Amino acid sequence: MFTEASLHVTLRVDGPSVRTVLVRSTRMVQAARLFAGKQPAEVLHLLPAVFSLCGTAQALTGLAAMEKAAAIAASPAQKSARRVLLLGETVAEHGLTIARDWPLLAGASPALDHAKRLRHALAGLRKALYPDGDWLHLGGGQLRPDSGQIHAIIAQCHATLTQLVGHDLDELVQPIAFQAWLRRESNPLLSLVTSRCWQAVGAGAAFLPMPELGPPDLSPRLQNDRDGVYLARPDCAGRVFETGPLAHWHWHPLLTDLTDRFGTGLLTRLAARLVLLAESLREMAEHAHDLRAEPAAPLPHLDGHGLALTEAARGLLAHRVVLKEGLVGEYQILAPTEWNFHPEGALVRMLTGAPADQDLELRARLLVHAMDPCVACTIAVE
Amino acid sequence: MCMAVPSKVVAVDGQMAIVEAFGQTRQTSLLMIDEEVKIGDYLVLGAGGNFAAEKVSEETALAAIEYLSQVLADGLA
Repeated sequence: MFTEASLHVTLRVDGPSVRTVLVRSTRMVQAARLFAGKQPAEVLHLLPAVFSLCGTAQALTGLAAMEKAAAIAASPAQKSARRVLLLGETVAEHGLTIARDWPLLAGASPALDHAKRLRHALAGLRKALYPDGDWLHLGGGQLRPDSGQIHAIIAQCHATLTQLVGHDLDELVQPIAFQAWLRRESNPLLSLVTSRCWQAVGAGAAFLPMPELGPPDLSPRLQNDRDGVYLARPDCAGRVFETGPLAHWHWHPLLTDLTDRFGTGLLTRLAARLVLLAESLREMAEHAHDLRAEPAAPLPHLDGHGLALTEAARGLLAHRVVLKEGLVGEYQILAPTEWNFHPEGALVRMLTGAPADQDLELRARLLVHAMDPCVACTIAVE
Repeated sequence: MCMAVPSKVVAVDGQMAIVEAFGQTRQTSLLMIDEEVKIGDYLVLGAGGNFAAEKVSEETALAAIEYLSQVLADGLA
């Protein structure tokens, strides 16, 4: 029987605090090895089908890795179109979380109507860029952007999210507006966090954001990872970085303001998702201006090594591929969850030493949510 | 990996469906799906399986299931 991958976090309490945090993962980090021997196009077809949450990011990162291996340079318009698709997935992921999961975590009813409207708006994005459906063609598919439709999708997302949070999203990520929003019962989850004074939960732990260009030793570590140990528990000279909205946007004015007040704890992490949403929509609109029609690229000879990195909805995603005589020879995927839920990673650092009171499990659940695993995660207190 | 098994719809009751994958059945919500869902369709479920995330074509679903069967057979799951 095929069991869906999951994470299991165990908090071992000793007296007044959490002494040990154990993270067990059943994630299939080596499953991409089985892409070996397949045609590149077949792998690109499989990627969005087998990854439930970030299929677009997985497929586009795979496409970029294969293009690097084959020394293909996609045109600026193709890169913009792919960026729009990637950002659209980020908006969908975080928008759905805020509409559906944030209220549930606070014991309120989910805003399913907003979630559905957002999903409905973004469902037409691929077709508005690549009407022939060949968005994963190596070198670039037949790009025929429907500018009116793309701008309409962005506007619908913006309007839905503004209605969902009850404030203009762009203004909301300004420090003064955000503080005013918090004071007037912004959102069930953020109201819970502020009313319980949990803004700084987890803030005492070391904050190790992923470098902008990824770990400097990523390529050789992947290349030499014959047994999959690095894929399961990545590090960089012993340091386990965190990746995701806060790691990527920690310099944003709202997040530096919140970090000054509450550290890199729960509130700052939740706010980082709002920042990522606002910035993703802004960047989508910018890229939409750079789109133009282009024919599909001819397929060259496919041979070589390629490593591609993508800042996906949950953080840095890496694909490494070796192409040999037109077929995939090796394939590796390193996903953000392996960094964030590493046995010595950010979640463990934040929970170790946490006060072991009656709310420990709920606070742990909120921190797990803030770190945003891409699989289900159970929490046990012993 | 956040891999999902495309699940076959075996029953639909309003906004809920019973789906099957690798011999295992479970209930999932169709609230996030815009298209009509009927018995025999394939759905990709979100993390935890509470909500169906996407309807996929039979061809795509069968290709994914074949690959995931190989993952299972090779002991990588």
